[in-house]
Amino acid sequence: MASEVLAKPQMRGLLARRLRIHMVGAFLVSLGVAALYKFAVAEPRKKAYADFYKNYSPEKDFEEMKKAGIFRSIK
Amino acid sequence: MAAPAQLGLQNAASPIMEELIAFHDHALMIIFLISSLVLYIISLMLTTKLTHTSTMNAQEIEMIWTILPAMILIMIALPSLRILYMTDEFNKPYLTLKAIGHQWYWSYEYSDYEDLAFDSYIMPTYFLEPGEFRLLEVDNRTTLPMEADIRVLISSQDVLHSWAVPSLGVKTDAIPGRLNQAMVASMRPGLYYGQCSEICGSNHSFMPIVLEFIYFQDFEVWASYLYI
Repeated sequence: MASEVLAKPQMRGLLARRLRIHMVGAFLVSLGVAALYKFAVAEPRKKAYADFYKNYSPEKDFEEMKKAGIFRSIK
Repeated sequence: MAAPAQLGLQNAASPIMEELIAFHDHALMIIFLISSLVLYIISLMLTTKLTHTSTMNAQEIEMIWTILPAMILIMIALPSLRILYMTDEFNKPYLTLKAIGHQWYWSYEYSDYEDLAFDSYIMPTYFLEPGEFRLLEVDNRTTLPMEADIRVLISSQDVLHSWAVPSLGVKTDAIPGRLNQAMVASMRPGLYYGQCSEICGSNHSFMPIVLEFIYFQDFEVWASYLYI
């Protein structure tokens, strides 16, 4: 009776294959982290500053602060 | 001033500080990029039994990990230098203020006005009014006009100090025998707090800075009032 011969397993280049796959993965993950920071933190912060100053009135702010009595130099 | 347990930079009150905050975000993004890459690679190395012990010809990867960091450094240096040159721009200042560090208080001189000078000591905790900030308030605040470029000349009468106001993006060393120049401008009225930023003795933590930015007309009234 002829016995089944198993296929020869992959014996070489295992580390190189692992590194090839994971190097791509590592770069994708790190670029993803950078993109996440940029679009979740940096860009919203820039927009928050732009939105704040779009309708900002220094006169109104000044009058409110004066009324609250925070200035010592103004009687 | 900072909110309790605040980790990030204080809100910007000057255009330079806005640029610095954006640059900080840019640099931190690059730091996260590199750190996550290194952490991933470390975990990769620690989770395998596979090894390769013979020497390899590594010409290609050596090229990559030399050129890529060089490009990242250029990406950091260019915006940094842009802001550096921006801070050195000499716009014709409206006013000149001298801030002189002493152990352990600041003294201010407005030389554009005759005889306008005063000392600024920390307000002791037991003298604080409700709503005032511990270790940040002073007896005489430095009043300045808003929406104006102000030249601040910083020096010291004794040891090294540093005049710093984070929300305006200013930190300049006060060195005895030397005059350092900083430009300050606030886009908004209000109170801006800072603290001495160079170790100067036992009360280094107790010589704060408070800038009070008001309209120019009110500033002129305040300045003339101080002559009396």
